[in-house]
Amino acid sequence: MAVPTIVWVLLTNRRFVVGIALFLAVVLTGVIGPLLYPVDPLSFAGPMETPPCEKYPLGTDTYGRDVLAQLLVGTRTSLYVGFLTALIAMAIGTVIGAAAGVKGGLVDEALMAITNVTLSIPSILLAILIASYLKVRSLEVVAAILGITSWPWYARAIRAQLLSLREREFIYLSRMAGYSDLRLAFEDLLPNIATYIFMAMVLFINGGILGEAGLSIIGLGPTQGVSLGLMLQWATLMEAFRRGLWWWFVPPGVMIVAATSSLMIVSTAMDEVFNPRLRERG
Amino acid sequence: MVRLGPFARYLLMRAAFLLATYITAITIVFLLPRLIPGNPLALLLTQLYQQAQANPEAIKEVYRTLMEEFGVGKPLWEQYVDFLSRAFRGDLGTSIAFYPRKVIELIAPAIPWTVGLLVPSTITAWIIGNTLGAIAGYRRGSYFEKTVLTASLILSQTPYYWLAMLLVYIFAIKLNLFPAGGGYSYGLVPSLTPEFIADLLWHYTLPFLSIVLVAVGGWAIGMRVLVIYELGADYMVFSENLGVEERKLFRYAFRNSLLPQVTGLALSLGSVLGGQLITEIVFNYPGTGYILFRGLSTLDYPLIQGVFIILVATLFLANFIVDFIYALIDPRIRLGYAQA
Repeated sequence: MAVPTIVWVLLTNRRFVVGIALFLAVVLTGVIGPLLYPVDPLSFAGPMETPPCEKYPLGTDTYGRDVLAQLLVGTRTSLYVGFLTALIAMAIGTVIGAAAGVKGGLVDEALMAITNVTLSIPSILLAILIASYLKVRSLEVVAAILGITSWPWYARAIRAQLLSLREREFIYLSRMAGYSDLRLAFEDLLPNIATYIFMAMVLFINGGILGEAGLSIIGLGPTQGVSLGLMLQWATLMEAFRRGLWWWFVPPGVMIVAATSSLMIVSTAMDEVFNPRLRERG
Repeated sequence: MVRLGPFARYLLMRAAFLLATYITAITIVFLLPRLIPGNPLALLLTQLYQQAQANPEAIKEVYRTLMEEFGVGKPLWEQYVDFLSRAFRGDLGTSIAFYPRKVIELIAPAIPWTVGLLVPSTITAWIIGNTLGAIAGYRRGSYFEKTVLTASLILSQTPYYWLAMLLVYIFAIKLNLFPAGGGYSYGLVPSLTPEFIADLLWHYTLPFLSIVLVAVGGWAIGMRVLVIYELGADYMVFSENLGVEERKLFRYAFRNSLLPQVTGLALSLGSVLGGQLITEIVFNYPGTGYILFRGLSTLDYPLIQGVFIILVATLFLANFIVDFIYALIDPRIRLGYAQA
């Protein structure tokens, strides 16, 4: 198995290590944080708009709620929405892209026509339109809205990758052996583009986290609970940034940027390692 | 049949595609409220109707207009044809919250603000980002490359609107250098006087910066990779061994990498616009984002739909211009090398 060498190569890449460490820190904040700091993020018990102090490490908001407690639970929520968005978008994109790439012909043309049309309509605008019609939006609904509006570029990329693989010899061999299209797609084609799929997943998770925040700020986020986006919405509503309440609007943004940029750093580092065209000529 | 040159044929194909997509967008706007269970528009109508029972002629009037524009009682296909033909004539219905004003009347004055922010910031970011990215790709392994890449990775993943909040907090509230929001100072009347233009630019700076900073990151990341690919191409290695001077090599790589980045412009305009709408809300900037927000907070569906349709149309117009430029600079399209 070549796995240990790959892991070793990655671990000696400084950018990869920094990125993955930062991302794990964010995940731990979301997963373990709320357990270590078990304060109700939505309790109105505290004093209003208190700057960080001993009792409230990140202060409180206009409604007297603990900002740190919100940040910890919000991180968990946002990561969940991000992962779920990626899952939904990639499921749709993989099926459509693979069907187009493997079947070819009329199926290919019809699917790509749909894809290109959807790709041309900005996904966030479409997400806003859909979300505005839904009165109740759970986290899953928000992820679904973001997922079904963001798959097209991925479907197109998967198709292109598959088309370039299709003419390779091992595919002909499988075809001659009489394997079904499905088996061909899952056993021969998709494993060959696994790193590519991982990088796409990073982009989708980031898209989900940023999309949730974007929808939330304009009042179209999850209708209950706490997320990093909802924190920013409340801060915007109360003009926190115009009134100097930095402890309210800075932390959720820092957390979003930490999560998304750490993933980007990991993905870039992996690209440098696995993509022969990017390797430095020595 | 008239034979068209490759250039004209390419543009015609693009125009046809964009038109088809535009019709699809309008169709989505038409179908969504009719597909979602509990038809939100019908719900709104019922609500208005209940208010109308208790209360004056005015609401009855709103109700009647809405009924008619929604096409209640007509068969679906007739509603659709009505909707489509009105959308093409620029009639996007009547606003509920601002009754009896037409949706288009409310959106029209906001469009120049949005486009005026979107286009210059995207072009500026494109130029700066591609230049930085190209130099970074060319100077592989240098301190410059590492700094540009790390900064770009972080900036490109920063939400515009959060950066906007930070900029307002630092430069408007703490340092008091720029206004905290709005398109121009209260009390000024829009005109072409030097005084107004100076005020306009003063308000423009922070929203502009918040978009440029984020967008630069994305372009730089893409360009860096493209230049590295280009430098690895056979003709590059060949030229290098021939002893072509370095300046020239860089120019080759830069020019050839720029082409895909022009195509990227069309797609990026859409995503930048999405982020910008929210940034406008943070800045209380008088663009379409602000109008959309007003529509959303009062559930004024005709207004929300109108903003969507207008923005998609504006975007497609911009896309077509980008296609035109692309066709001009890409010799393969200009001379008809591309697939028949």
